[in-house]
Amino acid sequence: MPSERWMHGALAAAAFLSATAAVTIFIIMAALGWPILRDGHLLQVLTGPWLPLRHQYGIGAMILGTLWVAGLALGLAVPISLGCAAFIQTTGPRGLGGLLKHLVQLMTGIPTVVYGFVGIFLLVPLVRDVFGRGSGLSILAAGVMLGLLIAPTLILFFVEGLAAVPRAHRLAVSALGGTPVQQLVYVLLPQAWRAILAGLVLGFGRAVGDTMIALMIAGNSVAPPASILDPARTLTAHIALIVAADFDSPEFRTLFVCGLTLYALTSLGVVAMRRLATKHLEAP
Amino acid sequence: MRAAAQRAITAWSWISSLLLVGAVAAVIGFLLVKSLPALNPRLIFGSTPVLEALLLRAPVLDGLWPAMAGTCFLVVTAVGLALPLGIGAGIYVAEYSRGRLKQGLTLLFDLLAGIPSIVVGLFGFSLTVFLHHHLSPRIYPSLLVSALALAFLVLPYLIRGTQAALENLPARIRVIAPALGATKMQNIFRVLVPQALDGILSGVILAIGRCAEDTAVIMLTGAVASAGLPKSLLGSFEALPFYIYYISSQYMNPKELRQGYGAALILLIVCAALFAVSLLLKNLLAQRLRVR
Amino acid sequence: MKMKWTCIGAMALWLVGGAAMALAGDLDPFKGEAGAVKISGGTAHIPVMKAAADAVMRANPKIQISIAGGGSGVGIKQVGEGLVDIGNSGRKPTDEEVQKYGLVLHQWAIDGVAVVVHPQNPVKALTSAQLKEIYAGRLSHWKALGGPDKAINIYTRDEASGTREVFWEKALAKGEIGTKALFAASNGAMKTAVAQDPYAIGYVSVGHIDAGVAPVALDGVAPTLETVKAGTYKVSRGLYSSTKGAPQGLTRKFIDFIFSAQGREMIVQQGFIPVQ
Repeated sequence: MPSERWMHGALAAAAFLSATAAVTIFIIMAALGWPILRDGHLLQVLTGPWLPLRHQYGIGAMILGTLWVAGLALGLAVPISLGCAAFIQTTGPRGLGGLLKHLVQLMTGIPTVVYGFVGIFLLVPLVRDVFGRGSGLSILAAGVMLGLLIAPTLILFFVEGLAAVPRAHRLAVSALGGTPVQQLVYVLLPQAWRAILAGLVLGFGRAVGDTMIALMIAGNSVAPPASILDPARTLTAHIALIVAADFDSPEFRTLFVCGLTLYALTSLGVVAMRRLATKHLEAP
Repeated sequence: MRAAAQRAITAWSWISSLLLVGAVAAVIGFLLVKSLPALNPRLIFGSTPVLEALLLRAPVLDGLWPAMAGTCFLVVTAVGLALPLGIGAGIYVAEYSRGRLKQGLTLLFDLLAGIPSIVVGLFGFSLTVFLHHHLSPRIYPSLLVSALALAFLVLPYLIRGTQAALENLPARIRVIAPALGATKMQNIFRVLVPQALDGILSGVILAIGRCAEDTAVIMLTGAVASAGLPKSLLGSFEALPFYIYYISSQYMNPKELRQGYGAALILLIVCAALFAVSLLLKNLLAQRLRVR
Repeated sequence: MKMKWTCIGAMALWLVGGAAMALAGDLDPFKGEAGAVKISGGTAHIPVMKAAADAVMRANPKIQISIAGGGSGVGIKQVGEGLVDIGNSGRKPTDEEVQKYGLVLHQWAIDGVAVVVHPQNPVKALTSAQLKEIYAGRLSHWKALGGPDKAINIYTRDEASGTREVFWEKALAKGEIGTKALFAASNGAMKTAVAQDPYAIGYVSVGHIDAGVAPVALDGVAPTLETVKAGTYKVSRGLYSSTKGAPQGLTRKFIDFIFSAQGREMIVQQGFIPVQ
């Protein structure tokens, strides 16, 4: 039927148009950043310092900043998320476990700008007073808030991974006299390790890609950080700051290198996740 | 396994749950306490009488009304732009593609989903400036540009929601209509999509929530601190999340800061509610399919 | 008792002010107009721009005036590229910029750039030499200046900022700004940051100073409107609004409004010195 073919064509067009979105973004960024890539300054840009007054536009410190902040966020969020997932699936009493799950599901809706806002007025003074040095605007403050941001996603992911293990296996452990914790450690975790790894990668992607928390509470200084109490600037915050301040200049062109770096980092994460997650698990 | 190790693991699961709940309670509690003094109509309408503001007779200059209206317009435009593409693509991937084509398409969609929002904003901004120079001086960061960029951002939510909803339909539902002589298209649009509607809607509402909360994209593509109600698609606009960001660092007096808290609370409630509805719909779909 | 009189006094002032505004007639040119004016650039200008825009929009709801920040560099660039109608800058656009974009400058105020610290900080006076050492990162403890035993947290602005440019040229004599400096995105943000951090040092437009931050006397001269006007406080700059070519239509009316009596009142109220 002709209307069938037409509809089929329309649907296919929608799919292919959407598919080109990711590619388009990559191409445009590469094209606009081409002058830097072409002149062979790429290594300098990726590792050098950011000193515009001396015409040095290196984003090395920003890459470090991103890794520190995302690393801390993951380091905090993963153990806690595993613990919460264990609570929801096994060790917690059924009613409480379900309640926690619903709370976590609601938490996924909290906007990052709200975390950033509360971070400025609650967490930053706290960090400053507790540690006695620095201004509170630090990797620590940003890492904690970012951890809180990605934890719900991680928890739900881990819970799904644990729940996907066939019931029969858990029952087998019970039949042999095993406790819920033993079920968890000897059956669930070993079988769900792929899902857990996938969750890690997902969390990394989200942590690297977030802008507002780092922009608002990490201090945005251009020096490479040396401790978690130091301020830092992430790639995402750097883009936000520079675009607000300029366009069409050598500084601006380095932003495309920033963007491409971020794109590369998250894309690596995506590819890794696809290898690890056997079922196509949804992620908010 | 030693009993002590088991107890440690159990203890850890309890501690981490308490830590998480405590942290969230601290965040939300702090926000509630600080924004309570500001929760009244003046928060939204400032010193302008409510009726005048709603009838567009007087501008609201010190309230959240323009930002809320801006966010509304933005969300409606962005989701409206992305909806046909997203749902269409989702249907195509779920029903028509298989094998390597499907893998390729889902890979590209996953890549799109992974792109940080600021990169999408950078893309939108640079493209706009480029077109402004080379195509038409009327093109500059505006509501339309922001909506287009946001559409890029939420496309994956729509595609995945639709795809997941359709793929999760049990086989028995799929075979009924063809057995009665329906074409593939008829099956999709008269049977499958209606059955999967809850799931599809869940994806749409998720997309709405994502548009409402995003700051990174709009701050590069047209959101400004002060613009009044959005007058046209080609003009600047205010938005709630951008307002919150702006106020957090540039509040001029305690009153503005309290307004910031109020705005944060409103955004929190709106987004949490949207996500909750989205989840409810997804669960509703799952339940209905199980019960049958 | 005191409260009551304060309230009555405030109300009276408000009424008189309102009446004065109504009688002023400076808003008459906007009658019957419709359209949009886009403004962006220097963040020091924003309070005045916002006050003026509010007055205009209240008098005529059909007009939409949008104000964005970004810093002086952004303002000049955007007005030059035609992205906005008025570009604000806290530094005079260079001859190159004027020529490249065909800018027409309108200076409507003089402002100073003051060094500020948290009100609880006992250090309220610095010499230029000390300031240079602090910002270069060599003088890094408040204790050396007679303050608390804490490290100095330096705050600075981004490259597009006219405030930063003026500060760097005139107060720091083009000295270096250490890489560990924390960034504030605007005058308002700088003020907020210093107000929240007891060990901070930063610099803001004199018009932005309020009870939340304490100005620091530089080489014995306190940064106040009087010293800026008299010229004894050397770190001063003009506040400019630039247009691409001669301003027309609604844009011209808005700029005329800033120079009008009502506009000058707003400029003074926000802490700047109006200029014809």
